[in-house]
Amino acid sequence: MTGRGDRAVNYVILASFSLIALYPVAGIVLAAFQPPGSAAGGFSLPSELHLANFAEAWTQGHFASYLRSSLIVAVSVVFVSTLVSIMSGYAFGTMTFAGNKVLFYLFLLGLMVPLEGLVIPLYFDLRALSLTDTYWALILPQIGLSVAFGTFWMRAFFLATPRSLIEAAAIDGARRWSILWRVLVPFARPAVLTMMVLIFMWTWNEFLLALVMVSSESLRTAPLGLAFFQGQHVSDVTLLAAGAVIVALPVVVVYIFLQRHFIRGMISGSVVG
Amino acid sequence: MATVRFEGAGKRFGGVDALVDLHLDIEDGELAVLVGPSGSGKTTALRLLAGLESITSGHVWIGDKQVDALPPRDRDIAMVFQDYALYPQMTVYKNLAFGLRMRKVAPGDIDGQVLTAAKTLGLEDLLERRPRELSGGQRQRVALGRALVRQPQVFLMDEPLSNLDAKLRTQTRVEIARIQREFGITTVYVTHDQIEAMTLGRRVAVMRDGRLQQFDSPKGLYDRPANLFVASFIGSPAMNITEGSLEHAGDGLAIAFGDHRLAVGRPESRPDDGIGAYAGRKVLLGIRPEAMADASLALGTPEDRRMTVRVELREDVGSDVYAYFEGGPPVSNPGLAESPTGDDDEAGGNRRRTFVARLSPQSKAREGDAIQIAINDRALFFFDPDTGVRIG
Repeated sequence: MTGRGDRAVNYVILASFSLIALYPVAGIVLAAFQPPGSAAGGFSLPSELHLANFAEAWTQGHFASYLRSSLIVAVSVVFVSTLVSIMSGYAFGTMTFAGNKVLFYLFLLGLMVPLEGLVIPLYFDLRALSLTDTYWALILPQIGLSVAFGTFWMRAFFLATPRSLIEAAAIDGARRWSILWRVLVPFARPAVLTMMVLIFMWTWNEFLLALVMVSSESLRTAPLGLAFFQGQHVSDVTLLAAGAVIVALPVVVVYIFLQRHFIRGMISGSVVG
Repeated sequence: MATVRFEGAGKRFGGVDALVDLHLDIEDGELAVLVGPSGSGKTTALRLLAGLESITSGHVWIGDKQVDALPPRDRDIAMVFQDYALYPQMTVYKNLAFGLRMRKVAPGDIDGQVLTAAKTLGLEDLLERRPRELSGGQRQRVALGRALVRQPQVFLMDEPLSNLDAKLRTQTRVEIARIQREFGITTVYVTHDQIEAMTLGRRVAVMRDGRLQQFDSPKGLYDRPANLFVASFIGSPAMNITEGSLEHAGDGLAIAFGDHRLAVGRPESRPDDGIGAYAGRKVLLGIRPEAMADASLALGTPEDRRMTVRVELREDVGSDVYAYFEGGPPVSNPGLAESPTGDDDEAGGNRRRTFVARLSPQSKAREGDAIQIAINDRALFFFDPDTGVRIG
């Protein structure tokens, strides 16, 4: 349909946008490979690949500890939120029960209210429960926030699932629990994986909550640790770049690992939405 | 195996009656078809029987068990869905085995039952495939197999052929009839296609607007339609319908419509009729296209059973010739007949003045010719102009 000229224009537009998006990222990655201590700002190719910055950042910045904290928090949040979201999405998407509309809007509220508006009262609540400065202070609120999104996401998916699939399973003798886990969840795998990636990403990158809730260094998550690290090494661009790459890498790895499913989930999600 | 009984069953969806006071007795081992246009309540009736919808009034029985309040899994039924509803992530084998596993059949027995069902339907080579790797016809057979494998009391089929192409549809129809006869499982089959209904059903329930119109054998529906709706719904091409007036003619009656006048015969030759009471009044007349013949090939038809018409269009399909000509005025209360907005091709016929006759292929009638059409007076149907009920 489209002629060669159209295609060329498309590619030029796409390429320029990619360039705009990738330029700062590439700048940081390249800077991380510069010789240690060089004040190479901007965009210049390193003469050779120096890995020393990474080793230096890793030990000086205690990134092992930060990544461990982030991993504990992110995995717990993703695991629990996914489980709960699948079940609540199933309820909202396939069953009618008293107050389901009101309850669902209540869930949506969790999507609409920004964390910045909640974080101070949340701090006092958690302090009253003596949960501040523990992993719980990071895990519990983020489960709450993720379930709001997850419920919304899974409900949309289950609403779009052919009704007859559920009915066929019911006639085949399956109870609601089996219908969900044996028929619908395997079918929903792309959507579930996409949801997991998104929740993992948001949890991993969460900064404000960690800043407010946690004071012990051993509990610091990666983005928070990176902020402290930056404070200490303002002038050492290559070292900071290496730290930033270390913090961002896990999300990139997770994304690449699941990208096939991720794209499929986004597409099915968009049809649903 | 079991009987199925609807006892005044009704369903309301938010103030709208989808099904009203349905009484239906289906015999053990019978294949009964529910047929009607969309919105006629046929699918609602099936879903009430399946337990997929709750019943608003009345009762449903399977065998000697009243199942109104039972969930689908406890009704010992199996259903074939219009879109097949195969479990997409399971292989054909697992699709067939799922119901057995859910019912805690011993794993050793599952294998045997699945293979038996697969063999019956020729699915042996497909057992490891997933639904998306199958053609439409194959998916359809898997859906049948999934119903068959459990040997339920009742089969429910919701337009199982509507997603197949015409050729496959005929094949599968024969297949369903064979399997149903072989296993003798009571079957309730829903379709909007009257040909499917007439060929498959031992008895056919014609539905309209949530109400049962008639439950009878295909021949019974064809020969003795209860009302104008059934008469116009059953048969292809659809029955020609017009308004006319019933007049005395000698010691018998005649029907006048448009430019035509046909002898009806003496009342005593139509003993089951109530048309005598309608003499001198307006009635609705129905004539099946196949009850007409080219008079030049039907010698001996008396003059008063012929009508002279001008052929507007001739369609030669080889086995038959369809001749279209000006008939009589359309029915002024079109609500009595098959809805002209229905999805049936023939539906518009009731609105037009044009009649269609199915003539022998020997007919030499050409477009523009004035010919004589001979009509068998036994094939005239009369309906009350207000209620549409058949009166003769």
